[in-house]
Amino acid sequence: MVYTRKNQRDLTGAERRKFVAAVLELKRTGAYDRFVRTHIDHYSADGEGRLRVAHMTPSFLPWHRRFLLEFETELRRVDPTVSVPYWDWTRDNSPASSIWGEDFMGGNGRRADFQVMTGPFAHSSGRWTITQSMTDGRFLTRDFGRPHDPIALPTQAQLDEVMRERVYDAAPWNSTSASGFRNRLEGWAPGRGNERFRVHNRVHRWVGGLMLGGGSVNDPVFWLHHSFVDLVWSRWQQRNPGAAYLPAEPPPLGDAQYRKVVARHQSMAPWGVTPASMFDHSRIYRYA
Amino acid sequence: MIVPRRVALRSLFALAVTAFTGGALGRIATRPPSGESPVLSTGRLDPHAFDEMYGGRRIRGFSGPEGEPTALVDGRPLHLMRCADGGYVTPVDHYESCPTPLAATRAAVDELGTASLSPLAGAHGGHTAPTEGSPRGVHA
Repeated sequence: MVYTRKNQRDLTGAERRKFVAAVLELKRTGAYDRFVRTHIDHYSADGEGRLRVAHMTPSFLPWHRRFLLEFETELRRVDPTVSVPYWDWTRDNSPASSIWGEDFMGGNGRRADFQVMTGPFAHSSGRWTITQSMTDGRFLTRDFGRPHDPIALPTQAQLDEVMRERVYDAAPWNSTSASGFRNRLEGWAPGRGNERFRVHNRVHRWVGGLMLGGGSVNDPVFWLHHSFVDLVWSRWQQRNPGAAYLPAEPPPLGDAQYRKVVARHQSMAPWGVTPASMFDHSRIYRYA
Repeated sequence: MIVPRRVALRSLFALAVTAFTGGALGRIATRPPSGESPVLSTGRLDPHAFDEMYGGRRIRGFSGPEGEPTALVDGRPLHLMRCADGGYVTPVDHYESCPTPLAATRAAVDELGTASLSPLAGAHGGHTAPTEGSPRGVHA
């Protein structure tokens, strides 16, 4: 049966509690940290000569769609009434937004060491110790808006600009693609200062702390962020029904992206599913 | 960039030797990461060498075995990931492509807070069989 992903701002108190409880249960069993590790192990940058499945690559969107589905499936084994809510950061764009409440994601990190001190994912709660990370820190960290060099969350106008793209992706199929929906949404851009952080990337930068690195999944807001990124993709698909995943075929020998990107019918590690198979989610979940 | 005086002198000397002998290009560093020399086995300056205190951390850069830039933060390896735009990201800061290895290392230090790098920060994204995996259907 098709289930619904809701805007986190519309969740009832009970729904917030159930989501948090299911996430904490996956943390307790060790399942959560395996998701953290999967994300870490699949990050490769686009100047390194290796195949990229998750970032700086056309399969950024289907890879994360599948990643969320895997996580959501685990959550729903714990509590079948739970789904991954989405965080519309164009609306809830302040540290005072309810998403950061003590009964939900908890608040900002403190100044001295970025440690999150409130909510269920604060280390002091005893239920959220970081084990898979780029540092030896054991607590969740955040640094909202990077006060020493301030940056704001993406705006609706910036998202509208992304939605005006008409093609899924474009050569050279990486972080330097000048057009195409995927790179515009992923958010790589030339320029200086904060201009370089767009849309999806900018949200990781705004939250800061662990959300900025390979261990970003350690912050449970990762899922709410990517649920919204997936919603944006879903709406774009509805508006552009003829715009299929690109590239359709693997770049040929001699192309700079030969064996570095996943074509429409090639499989994505670690699940062995194709981007084409991730294109239609309408029989699994919908967005409210 | 702050370079210790003895390193700077040695570099100057190496430059002079290189110019004199017309030494061949080479990419193998003369010393392991624990060394201090920015000079390659050929006598050329290591283009990726830096050594400074930044944000209370000692950061060092040098060429790895295949000539790739490598960095240490307080002696712990930090993976410098090359981007298509010519810059570098690190496992600590994935979303800012910095123009040089030094800039990327500094950007990582800016985000470390009070923590030290873990082993994952040096050997990250090591997945080598990217299109393989156990096929499973969408189960939901």
